[in-house]
Amino acid sequence: MNSNIPVLKVENLKKSYSGRIILDGVNLEVDKGETKVILGPSGVGKSTLLRCINMLTLPDSGKIWLEGVELTNPNTDINKMRQKIGFVFQDFNLFHHLTVLKNVTIGLTKVKKIPEEEAIKIAASALEKVHIPNTLWNKYPAQISGGEKQRVAIARALAMKPSIMLYDEPTSALDPQLVGEVLQVIKELSTAGMTSLIVTHELHFALEVANELLFIYNGKIVEQGPPEEVFANPKHDMVKKYIASIYSRKG
Amino acid sequence: MVTLEILAISMPISVLLGIALGTARVYGNVIIRGIASAIVITFRGFPVLVTLLLIFFGLSDFGIYVPPFWTAVIGFILCSGSYQSEYVRGAIRSIDIGQSLAARSIGMTKLQEVLYIILPQAVRRAFLGITNELIYLVQYSSLAFVVGVPEMFAVTKTFNSLYFRPVETFTTLAVVYLVMISVLVVFFRGIERRLAIPGIELTTK
Repeated sequence: MNSNIPVLKVENLKKSYSGRIILDGVNLEVDKGETKVILGPSGVGKSTLLRCINMLTLPDSGKIWLEGVELTNPNTDINKMRQKIGFVFQDFNLFHHLTVLKNVTIGLTKVKKIPEEEAIKIAASALEKVHIPNTLWNKYPAQISGGEKQRVAIARALAMKPSIMLYDEPTSALDPQLVGEVLQVIKELSTAGMTSLIVTHELHFALEVANELLFIYNGKIVEQGPPEEVFANPKHDMVKKYIASIYSRKG
Repeated sequence: MVTLEILAISMPISVLLGIALGTARVYGNVIIRGIASAIVITFRGFPVLVTLLLIFFGLSDFGIYVPPFWTAVIGFILCSGSYQSEYVRGAIRSIDIGQSLAARSIGMTKLQEVLYIILPQAVRRAFLGITNELIYLVQYSSLAFVVGVPEMFAVTKTFNSLYFRPVETFTTLAVVYLVMISVLVVFFRGIERRLAIPGIELTTK
């Protein structure tokens, strides 16, 4: 594989819902090992962008490439490509009827057709990375905390050995005291070289983890750059307001 | 005993049919959905009695002879399966869309999603409704007598016409049904407990 091509490339992506424009020509690239964080007020299409990237939401137009393979091409086997895109949802979406361990192995055994025994080994290593002790492996989602659920959800995505991880506001549904453990895990993965695209409202986390910040407003990326640069010298009015509002909220 | 034989065959198959029809009506393409809907509408619309008579006499007009026993079995499967399918369909519809998104996000095909993620949860939710239909099936299995199957009701009727002791004979019959259904209820409770997902209360205590 050519190492010069970006892991993810999005070109002129557009999406509207019943006449309302959500994404109005988004372009972005994520290179191997990079972590980019998408910021912006609520309801500007950040989540829609992530869902379009793995085609859970079909874009109206524009192109998306994963490691050079065009996802938006109707001839591409999207189910196969989705295995390479780890997706972490705001509300976890663990499979309620499966144990923690099975939540992680099911993609391996049923989708990748890996034998059970080997799948358990891969799952064990993924669960270790997200600090889920084996005492929780046989618990069901309803029996563990929100932070644990989200970490299991990350392990489920990780076990598929994705080329990129997409996080859609991974801590927004969590009680404040549980946010830290999840952000810590995401940060560790990112530092270890996991290519990541993260939508979040956790500004301090974004500053720590991101190689680049992307601000979305009115369906477009209005500002992007290294965190320290963007924060020191925001150009777009929305970005100025957003940063100011978050600082005032934090006090 | 004929009643038990009819039930032993029609109960499990009607459950499978119910799951298949309910699933087809949610996920099938236009044709599959159309066929499944037609089956459900027809056999929920026809009285069971009429269904049995139509299978028995109607098909024989086309030269197809279905023996009485199998007439009853087929009729009960179609009827009960159609009713059960609606519980399954409702249960599928009640599963949070996030389950579906998560399944697709790890690369599952639609079929894998339905088989491994949606149905295991939906069937659990539909379970109490399905058991209700199965108990009802025990009761209307007595209708098999109209096509000449010597099941419990038919035998009791013959017995009564020999001795003319209606109160005693039919009370006995009622008690036999009650016992059969009680056994089933205990059996279903056992399955319900096994199906329960730890941490989620499926039933009220």
